[in-house]
Amino acid sequence: MRGFGAEPAPPGAGGLVRLYHVSKAYQAGSWALRDVSLELEKGDLAFVTGPSGAGKSTLMRLVFAAERPSEGQILVLGRNVGRLGTAGISRLRRRIGVVFQDFKLLHRRTVEDNVGVALEVMGVPARERKARVFAMLKRVGLHHRRQHHPLSLSGGEQQRLALARALVNDPEVLLADEPTGNLDPDLTLEIMDLIASAAARGTAVFVATHDHALVERYGRRRLRLEGGRLIEDLRVGSR
Amino acid sequence: MSARAHAARAVSSALRGLRASPITSAIATGTIALCLLLAGSFGLLLVNMERVLTHFGQEVRVSAYLSDDMPSEQQEALALRVQRLPGVESVAWVSKQAALERFRASPFGRASLLDGLDENPLPASLEIVLVPEQRNSKGLDALVRTLGDLPGIEELGYGHEWVEGYARAVALVRGVALAIGAVLALATLLIVSNTIRLSVYARRDEIEILALVGAGRAFVATPFLLEGLLEGAAGGLLALAGIALGFHALTGTFGTGLELVLGTTQPIFFGPGEMLGLVALGAGLGGLGSGAAVLRVQRS
Repeated sequence: MRGFGAEPAPPGAGGLVRLYHVSKAYQAGSWALRDVSLELEKGDLAFVTGPSGAGKSTLMRLVFAAERPSEGQILVLGRNVGRLGTAGISRLRRRIGVVFQDFKLLHRRTVEDNVGVALEVMGVPARERKARVFAMLKRVGLHHRRQHHPLSLSGGEQQRLALARALVNDPEVLLADEPTGNLDPDLTLEIMDLIASAAARGTAVFVATHDHALVERYGRRRLRLEGGRLIEDLRVGSR
Repeated sequence: MSARAHAARAVSSALRGLRASPITSAIATGTIALCLLLAGSFGLLLVNMERVLTHFGQEVRVSAYLSDDMPSEQQEALALRVQRLPGVESVAWVSKQAALERFRASPFGRASLLDGLDENPLPASLEIVLVPEQRNSKGLDALVRTLGDLPGIEELGYGHEWVEGYARAVALVRGVALAIGAVLALATLLIVSNTIRLSVYARRDEIEILALVGAGRAFVATPFLLEGLLEGAAGGLLALAGIALGFHALTGTFGTGLELVLGTTQPIFFGPGEMLGLVALGAGLGGLGSGAAVLRVQRS
C-alpha cells in the first residue's frame, strides 16, 4: 500500500470500465497482464503506475479494444469488449478519448483537421465541428496554430494536440498514456488540469505515467502494476 | 450525417489525399497510364485486325452463274429467294450487260478480245456473300448444296481452298490475340493492383489512426476508393491520349504503307464507347486495387 490515507477501492455497481479476472498473453505462457480485476466509475481519475513492461499499455489497449483479452471479461460503457464486432468497436471508440504515447497524429492533415476527425467520425456537422475544434484548441493553447501540420509543432505541442483530439468529443472514458511526458512543469500542470476537469465533468480517466509527482498531486485513485499483476488499487482522500 | 454529407466528405477527403501525396499519386497514375497504353494499343491493333479480317471475309463469296434462257425478272426473283436462304448476308444480281461492263473495266479486260463476237458471251450471275459465322468450308458447302437444287443456276464458282485458308488464318490470328491479350490483361491487373497497394500501404498509419478514433470501415475506405478511381481514370485518359498521338503519328507517317498492307481498309481509331471503356477500365482497376488494399490493411 502506498500513500497516506489510502484505502482499498470499494467495488462499485455503476462502473464505466470493468475488468473481471482479465489476462492477456501475446505468446503462450508469457503474460502481459495476469488476472486483473478493477472497476472505474464515472468521474474516477485513476493513475496507473509501474515499471516498463508492467502491462500499463496492454491494459489501455484492452480497454479501447485494440486487443482482446486472453482470459476474463472487460465491460466498457456496458459493452463486452471481447464480443464486439468491427462496427461495435468503432462505435465504442467514438465514446472513448485516447492520448497515445506516440501521439498518433495525422501528419498530412492540419492541426484543426487532426482534432476535427474525432468529431467527423461521429457525424458532427462541419459548422459545429469547426466551433468545437476552435474552442478545444484554445483550451490547449494551439488555436493560433490550427492551420499548421503536426510535424511543424514541438513535442509538447503535439502532445497537447493529441489531448485536444481525445477530449474534443467529451468522451465518457479517457485513456492517456504518458500524457505529460514531453512537457515542461508549467505545461504539465495545465494539461493535467484539463484532464482533471474532464474527470470532474464525469469522464472516467486512466492515466499511465512514471511521474510520481503527478500521482501525488492528482492521483485520487492509484493503480500499480508489476509483472502484469495489479498489486495495488487505492483511493486517496475524497473525490 | 446524411448520405449527401457522407459523399461530400468522402470526395473532399479523397481530393485532400491526392493533394497531400502528389508523388505517390503521380506514380500510381503513371503506372496505370503505361499499362493501359500497352493494353489499349493492343486493343486498337485488334480492332483494326478484325476489320481487315472482315474485309477479307467479304471475298468468301459464291458466284452463281445463271442460264441465258432465264428472263431478267425471274433472275431478280431468284436473287430475292437466295437472299432469304440461311447463312446468306447479301446477294448482288449482276446482269449480262453489267458483267460485260465489269469485264471491260477490269485490268484483264481487253476490248479487243470481245470485238469479234456478235453477242455478249458472259452470263448473268448472283454474287452471294455469306454471314461472317458461315465463312468457312462447312458453311460454304451447305450453301452450295442448297443453291445446286435451285432452277436457273447453271454453274457455281467458289474458292474452297481459299476459304479454308481464310478460316485457318482467322482462327490463328484470334487465338494469338486472345493469348497475348490474356497475358497483357493479367500483367496490367497485377502491376496496377500492386502499385495502388503500395500507395495505400504508404498511408497505413492514417488508416490505423482513423480506426483508433472510431472511424468505421466505410468511412476510412471510401476516400481511398475514390482516390483510386480518380487516379485510374486519369491514367486511362493519359493512356488514351498516348494511343491517339501514336495512332496519328503512325497513320501520318506510314499512311501509304498501311494502305498497301490493309488494302482498301483504312485504319480506324476507337469509337466513343471504346474510349469511355478504356477510361472506365482505368477507373475500375484503380478503385478495385485501392479498395482491396485498404480492406487488407484494415483486416491486419
